[in-house]
Amino acid sequence: MSAVERHLHCHPASEPCAEDVVRVSCVRHAYEDGTRVDLCGMDFIAHRGTRVALLGPNGSGKTTLLYHILGLLKAQEGHVSVFGLDPATQWREIRARVGVVLQNVDEQIIMPTVADDVAFSPRQYGLPEAEVSLWVARALDLLDIADLANRVPHHLSGGQKRKVALAGALVMEPELLVLDEPFEGLDPAARGALVELIGRLAREEQVTVVMTTHDIDSVSELADFAYVLAPGGEIVLRGTPAEVFANVEAIAASNIRPPLLAELFASLAAQSADAPAPELNVDEATRALLRWRDSSAKR
Amino acid sequence: MRIADVDTIAVLGDSALHRIGAPAKLVAFVLVLSAVLVTTNVLLIIALSLTLIAVVVGLRLPARTLLGFAAYPAVFAALFALATTAGILGVVLVVGKALCAALAAVLLTFTTPYPYIFAPVQRVMPTLLGDAALMTYRSLFLLLDRMDKTLTSVRLRAGRPQSFGAGARMATTALGGVLFYSIDLSQRTYDVMRLRGYEGRLEISPQPAGPIALRMATVVAAAALLGVAVLWRVWWTALNPYSWLPALSAALLLLVAVFARAARTWKERP
Repeated sequence: MSAVERHLHCHPASEPCAEDVVRVSCVRHAYEDGTRVDLCGMDFIAHRGTRVALLGPNGSGKTTLLYHILGLLKAQEGHVSVFGLDPATQWREIRARVGVVLQNVDEQIIMPTVADDVAFSPRQYGLPEAEVSLWVARALDLLDIADLANRVPHHLSGGQKRKVALAGALVMEPELLVLDEPFEGLDPAARGALVELIGRLAREEQVTVVMTTHDIDSVSELADFAYVLAPGGEIVLRGTPAEVFANVEAIAASNIRPPLLAELFASLAAQSADAPAPELNVDEATRALLRWRDSSAKR
Repeated sequence: MRIADVDTIAVLGDSALHRIGAPAKLVAFVLVLSAVLVTTNVLLIIALSLTLIAVVVGLRLPARTLLGFAAYPAVFAALFALATTAGILGVVLVVGKALCAALAAVLLTFTTPYPYIFAPVQRVMPTLLGDAALMTYRSLFLLLDRMDKTLTSVRLRAGRPQSFGAGARMATTALGGVLFYSIDLSQRTYDVMRLRGYEGRLEISPQPAGPIALRMATVVAAAALLGVAVLWRVWWTALNPYSWLPALSAALLLLVAVFARAARTWKERP
């Protein structure tokens, strides 16, 4: 790939040399029932240490894209690379660097107790038992679920199971975290803690996070970049959440309802030429609207 | 689902037996089972049964559920004994042996989560069989959960069945759905295992062994039961006239357990 092409695919443009951890270029997939997903349009790229949200209506191919990144599906056309390797054929080489939480966490918890489930990967990688205990304790502490260590998974609540699955994904300190609807079933406090944890991992440990979410109103808070998939799989928009949601028409064309704040600012812009620029965070939006009110009053 | 009841009691119970690791209980189980096998004395088998019931009552385990489970084999043993054995003593002996063995097994399964009972056995099994048996535990609960949800949704959409036939059809339909789900589930589980680095041989952590005094007491008590059974088997001519003694002791033990349970329940009343 030439330097120019690489630059074109990079975002933000100010970091053209950022390392691609994940790159998906025009992957086409046909399921056995004939359903086709063409993940074309723009390339999907996740750089090291960034949180990337994948948005789209049901059936747009978000999970298909994640499954290609995880090597569970093999690209019939197009190109998928994770850490520079093809995950479908070279998963063994990269698997210890990837943590995964799929949508149905119940099916992801395999072992009979929480501690054993979190210990699943380190044990499979042959780490000594003393070391396994340390890794497990660290992962459980990270999610604040050390008290669940000896519990049996089917006696846990939905939110607790999600935390256990996440502890299992984080136990090997992965460089790439792939999360399918990570906030489903979490109460606001647990959700806030998870958003904070994911942000911290990306910021301090340079963990790359790729996640799908329907929680549109929170995208600006939980992701640095967003990709929008249209029905059929075409990647139609990408950029920072502010950039993506500024494009209200394209968002609506993808069958996604824009965040309420984006709609509010778009509506203000339609009615008033001097309306403030859109802000997707409640505090920022409040400040922008107060400034706008004060400047209007002065005039 | 009653299997879920067993698991809940095994996992969440806090009796003295719950606090002991699986190996000590497995040893005690084998000793009690040996005592059942060795005994040919009706009064002794009654004594063994009463002793085990006293343990259930004394430890404040859910007696009705446990005895209900233990009664299943006793019913089938009774049918077998009535068909093949001559005399009431023979029937009582066969039924008593079945009840005793079942009680010992139920005591073990109600006080030890399945994975911990299975862990020592899994270590000596071939990898594939061992892993499959361990996976069965989680899968069973996923499938039971699925079955419950399917039945609920069928009832919500079609109402409660009006006849036994309609109920059976409903249950069969749900079971068919669960069967297809289980095939799908096995593929997804394998995918997840592959993603998480599965390379053969699942392992689980050993259960904490528990206080040594409790472990010793359990094993010694079980060994004492076996000792009594062996004594009566070897010197039966001399000891048979005194067979009422262990039976009476066990009955007294049961009485004490009943009183102790009632007293503690009364004491804990708000």
